[in-house]
Amino acid sequence: MKYKDYYATLGVERGASEDAIKKAYRRLAHKYHPDVSKEADAEERFKEVAEAYQTLKDPEKRAAYDQLGTHSAGQDFQPPPDWQRQWQPSQEEAFSAEDLDLSALFEHLRAGRGARGGERMVMAGQDYEVAVPVSIEQAYSGTQIDLDLNMPEYDAQGRLHRTPHAFKARIPKGATDGQRLRVPGKGGKGINGGRNGDLYLNISLLPHPYYRANGHDLYLDLPLSAWEAVLGTSVEVPTPGGSVRLKVPPGTQAARQLRLPGRGLPKPKGGQGDLYAVVQIVVPSVVNDRERALYQQLSDVSAYDPRAHFVREGSHAN
Amino acid sequence: MRIELTDVMWFEEHSVSLRELSELCALPAALLEELVSGGVILPLESVATEPRFGAQALSAARTARRLREDFELDTSGLMLALGLIDRVRDLERELRALRARLPGTTSP
Repeated sequence: MKYKDYYATLGVERGASEDAIKKAYRRLAHKYHPDVSKEADAEERFKEVAEAYQTLKDPEKRAAYDQLGTHSAGQDFQPPPDWQRQWQPSQEEAFSAEDLDLSALFEHLRAGRGARGGERMVMAGQDYEVAVPVSIEQAYSGTQIDLDLNMPEYDAQGRLHRTPHAFKARIPKGATDGQRLRVPGKGGKGINGGRNGDLYLNISLLPHPYYRANGHDLYLDLPLSAWEAVLGTSVEVPTPGGSVRLKVPPGTQAARQLRLPGRGLPKPKGGQGDLYAVVQIVVPSVVNDRERALYQQLSDVSAYDPRAHFVREGSHAN
Repeated sequence: MRIELTDVMWFEEHSVSLRELSELCALPAALLEELVSGGVILPLESVATEPRFGAQALSAARTARRLREDFELDTSGLMLALGLIDRVRDLERELRALRARLPGTTSP
């Protein structure tokens, strides 16, 4: 079994007071709680912090933990021979399982006491939430994802193990950012006839080099040259379902949104979002002599004033 | 290791009663009723006499359970936290929508 240093996880001394432990937990919970945190590894960190606090906040569990001795985190160890006799007399077998998690020892402390009257508690399995990042292409056509979950599970002797579960889930097309999928009964196993927990998949869309998603609508920057915008043209535009030709009308202004109906992401109950091509007018940073001469000629000929709407205050000041 | 293929269902398609909601999120029904009357968990609009709850409510109720346990919050602290989290989510959604319209950015 791997040792975990619960005191180090909470960042407190081994002799810390109950109050100091509570304060340290609160500080870390505010920082890492997945419902309020923006930290990248918030969920993992919070699990560690919560596990440490569960044991250290309870004086009896803390005493039992302290008697395991001091080891370095991650080091393989076995509880001392008399440890189990003192803390878990109801447990018949000695702990030998390699994959037994340290937190299981303290779960037992509680479970052992609860089960003393021979009463079998019916408990629903735990629900799990998993973040599932998908690409826009995957959201468009649906995809299969591999899930590897480490779930705490009780064995026939009522001991808690972390059991790896691997399965594939079919993500139907139509998923978008912030949506959730439920996989009924795939969470933790229920105990003594309790229902199995559910698994919730939280979908997020991965950044894409040129699409931006808003719900089921997609936005795409469409760069046009000045002459394309003035004269109008027909351009090839990528969409998740394949390229389409888009007619750009003459006199198209920058920031105008050209809508391609039904070219966005599919919706779960049918229908499809739209794709908006947002016009950007771009100019070459380097021009050759002939191009420069033509621009100059255009400048001389054109009476177009892009700033005609500015109030002409300058004329008074001069 | 056994690998199985599982079909998932849209979370949005469920509606549950208060009792089922209480079971699914492991919060007492009385507390849920308080959260509903406080407006931080909203039932679906329906003509049925008994309120039905959808995905939003289940998600909020599960968040409530976590916050209550992990921060040891009382009911009024819980309502405040849920209300603020809702506002943050709304703002994030709006920000995402605005960013999508903004030329020259590629984050979704």
